[in-house]
Amino acid sequence: MDQAAPIPTVPVSVPPALRARVGGRSKVTAAGRTIRELIDALDQQFPGLRFNLCYETGELRPYVNIFLGHENIRYLQGLDTPLSPGTTVAILPSVAGG
Amino acid sequence: MFRRSEYPQGSVLLVVGTKRGLFLISSVDRQSWNIQGPMLKGHRTFYGILDQRKGARLFAADNGDFFGPFLRYSDDFGANWHEPEHGLQFPEQSGEKLAAIWTIEPGRQAEPDVVYAGVDPASLWISTDGGLNWELNAGLATHPTRARWEPGAGGLCLHSIVPDYANASRIWVAISAVGCLRSDDAGKTWTFANKNVRADFLPVKYPEFGQCVHRLIQHPRRPEILYQQNHCGIYKSTNSGDDWTDIQHNLPSEFGFPIALDPHHPETLYVVVEDAEARQNVGEQFTVYRSDNAGEQWERLTNGLPAGTGVGLGVLRHALCTDIKDPCGVYVGTTTGQLFASSDQGDGWRLIAEYLPSIYSLTAAVLM
Repeated sequence: MDQAAPIPTVPVSVPPALRARVGGRSKVTAAGRTIRELIDALDQQFPGLRFNLCYETGELRPYVNIFLGHENIRYLQGLDTPLSPGTTVAILPSVAGG
Repeated sequence: MFRRSEYPQGSVLLVVGTKRGLFLISSVDRQSWNIQGPMLKGHRTFYGILDQRKGARLFAADNGDFFGPFLRYSDDFGANWHEPEHGLQFPEQSGEKLAAIWTIEPGRQAEPDVVYAGVDPASLWISTDGGLNWELNAGLATHPTRARWEPGAGGLCLHSIVPDYANASRIWVAISAVGCLRSDDAGKTWTFANKNVRADFLPVKYPEFGQCVHRLIQHPRRPEILYQQNHCGIYKSTNSGDDWTDIQHNLPSEFGFPIALDPHHPETLYVVVEDAEARQNVGEQFTVYRSDNAGEQWERLTNGLPAGTGVGLGVLRHALCTDIKDPCGVYVGTTTGQLFASSDQGDGWRLIAEYLPSIYSLTAAVLM
């Protein structure tokens, strides 16, 4: 009988604007099969972080980018992008503003 | 850094919300001003206000840039900021998304734990524990006409909240571009209060709703009297908003954003009407307009305000206020970061800050 694959734990880079939320750290770790699950896990650790990243309706805020390695998840499967062991995730704000 | 001792009793504290953070500007004599900030550095801070009903709690509408709008509060004049336990977030099933927090209004003196907030998309939020937990007012959120509410250029914003100090069950709100609504049952149900207010941009000039009210205030001694600055005029109601009278009279424009009054002489009103196309002063003189007779006649206040070729200053709806001293101070902030102050009801003005970020809001407190 196959055993269920363990849920990967991945490192997540946090931009300066959100480090106060995560105790001042530039990197945190959390577990999830997808980016969506990862965000949920991060929100459990750091309440309020989901609202920093996503609207109440669940979609990613327009100026928030999440990278899986070097790939922006917007060009993968979005919040349903799967995670695997050894991957890295980075949260980055868009180069925008004025 | 920001200690209570820096803000002695009796001093005037201006809470200045700007495009790039919050500033506290204070004075013991309204002549020499001390600028602290920016706090919430870099964040679009639409509104800030000091609530002194129980201590000195500073509230800020921090709309950030990328990572979501948050209502924040500080009990030490901005040294440390906190988030509510349950803040302003719509239920997922509502389908609504918080775009921006526009105003935070401390409730009645007799209800010191009640605080209100107005947001885009137009909704009223209420806290009954001093801002720690917030609930969405269902009556307004489920108004039967809500699906037909259209935004103004700045969004579908609930920007003015007026809890009637004389009637604990009555409250008004003002929304761009929906108009004024009144509740007489503590927010359970809401009716429009827009009779005789023009909407020149609509096919029906006097609709039931759809007016673009920019700011709403209440007379401090006669609760049935309200004033509004509208996209299409300046209005007065003498019957709690049942209907309105145009008080533009000799003002050079119907268009402007803010309106304020002298709390000790409430028939004295202040507006900053603008060229509606350019969104800046009419002509080349930056002008605050004052009426000493509740809008029957307006005079131009220009002593100490800039004039000349190229002078074109704009003032947003929350960027004009008065203090409660007598004679009252009057304060106006521009979208180009200039802050002007008068300590004599507007007779004379001084530039007290000139390089702030774009000013979104001004509130004044006299420290207790």
